[in-house]
Amino acid sequence: MSDARQYELVYILSPDATEQEITDLHTQVESIIARYQGELLKTENWGRRRMAFRIGKHREGTYVLEVFKGTGDLTKELDRRLKVIDNVIRHLCVRVDEELRVAERDRARRQADVDRRVAKGLPVGGPPRRSRDDDGDTDSGDETEVR
Amino acid sequence: MADGRRTGGGGGGGRGRGDKKDSEKGGPRRGMFRRKKICKFCTEKVDYIDYKDAKMLMPFVPERAKILPRRISGVCAMHQRKLQTAIKRARQLALLPYATD
Repeated sequence: MSDARQYELVYILSPDATEQEITDLHTQVESIIARYQGELLKTENWGRRRMAFRIGKHREGTYVLEVFKGTGDLTKELDRRLKVIDNVIRHLCVRVDEELRVAERDRARRQADVDRRVAKGLPVGGPPRRSRDDDGDTDSGDETEVR
Repeated sequence: MADGRRTGGGGGGGRGRGDKKDSEKGGPRRGMFRRKKICKFCTEKVDYIDYKDAKMLMPFVPERAKILPRRISGVCAMHQRKLQTAIKRARQLALLPYATD
């Protein structure tokens, strides 16, 4: 458990890749993940989209996102394989478990805060929102001088 | 409390104006529009700045596609750091440009 990390892999296929090639590559990735005892959590095909700049001679690309659990060896192998495949014009593999954990913790903390406020009968909104409202007043009406 | 914040804001503004030689130039601008900047991500309660969401990142890379500095956008330090990594990742995937001409 400790060494199974969650990664997000995005790869861009050249725009001339056929549907068949896209599914082929997907099954290839899937099998590599399976070989390294990883677990594929999600696959998303974003389809063809215009890239912000030209890569090689391409202006468009087919984006595919794979979310999986696995070890460092697995990502190394995927990286190596994707580099070799000519159809793949760009790929990026990012570890996301820690960031997601932090995000989840923040969310839980905020939820707990809201719950506490509700229990106490305090207004739910939180300090940042209030301060913004105050500032809005100061800007328009200049509250400070009135006082 | 409101007074304290006001003074603090004035100090910040004064530092900015100190860079300019002409103090008269800064004079009339005092208290004109010094909007308190707020972090978009804090107010909207965004926990995770996703590099895949190019639309969300777009406002932070204007025109030349440089990352918008915090002093302009008002994003807090923590979120600016996260935003920075997100933008850099998005660039690698050609979701955002490195530079535009």
